[in-house]
Amino acid sequence: MIGLKSTLNVIDNSGAVLIECVNVLKQKVNNGWGSVGDEIVCVVKAARPIPAAAAASATAVKVRRGDVRRAVIVRTRKSVRRPDGRVVRFDDNAAVLLNNKREMLGTRVGGVVSAELRMKGWGKIVSLAPKII
Amino acid sequence: MKVEIDSFSGYRIYPSKGKIFVRGDSKVFRFASSKNASLFLQRKNPRKLAWTVVYRRMHKKGITEEVAKKRSRRTVKHQRGIVGADLAAIAAKRNQTAAVRSQARLAAITKAKTEKKDKEVKKAKPARAAGAGAPKASKQQMKGTGVGGKAGR
Repeated sequence: MIGLKSTLNVIDNSGAVLIECVNVLKQKVNNGWGSVGDEIVCVVKAARPIPAAAAASATAVKVRRGDVRRAVIVRTRKSVRRPDGRVVRFDDNAAVLLNNKREMLGTRVGGVVSAELRMKGWGKIVSLAPKII
Repeated sequence: MKVEIDSFSGYRIYPSKGKIFVRGDSKVFRFASSKNASLFLQRKNPRKLAWTVVYRRMHKKGITEEVAKKRSRRTVKHQRGIVGADLAAIAAKRNQTAAVRSQARLAAITKAKTEKKDKEVKKAKPARAAGAGAPKASKQQMKGTGVGGKAGR
């Protein structure tokens, strides 16, 4: 249940650590709340300092505090009901940053992700994740 | 059909039932009911709640009947003959009454005694014969006896 001002952990290696949701992109029915697999617009609230080598190269993406980015939700504290009847709940809200073409900014995913992502067309993230639940 | 086990109470979770909780350290917990989930989130210790499987296992609840059954199955006595004594002989010995046994014992004792006596008698006869011959064998005794004999006369 991600909405305006919700904060999420970032579990990729893009450089961001904490993001705040500013908008949930509309789908057919989400009523303004984002769940696992939904895309959001977010503000980077905390980021890792950019190393000197990365800062020098022009090609590398630099994620700084205050940036507005897109992200996809990968875990939610709100329980999600699966088609087989079981209910899955995580301990925190987490997301992975995206660029404008809906591709991942980072190259790695360092944490558990929900299996709903695969159903919703985020196979790339699922394949990079160390554990899928 | 895969049946999961409740990580708090140990109950079985059938498909379409239960909740899965993924903790921050990516450890997965499965709960059969909201009661179990609630108690887990309250950080209750399942070892201290009497109805959980871990408690019952710890205090050996509900497993006594099985143990008793196992024990009753074990000892089965079987009779058969051994070397030199077949089953009939053993049975005959076992079925004797105390009186018969004591009688047999008495008979054996008396038999042994008579045998001993016979032996002694047999031994004694040659001994006496030797005693008669002994004075001849020992010169000193012969002397003594001879002197004695004369003195006596």
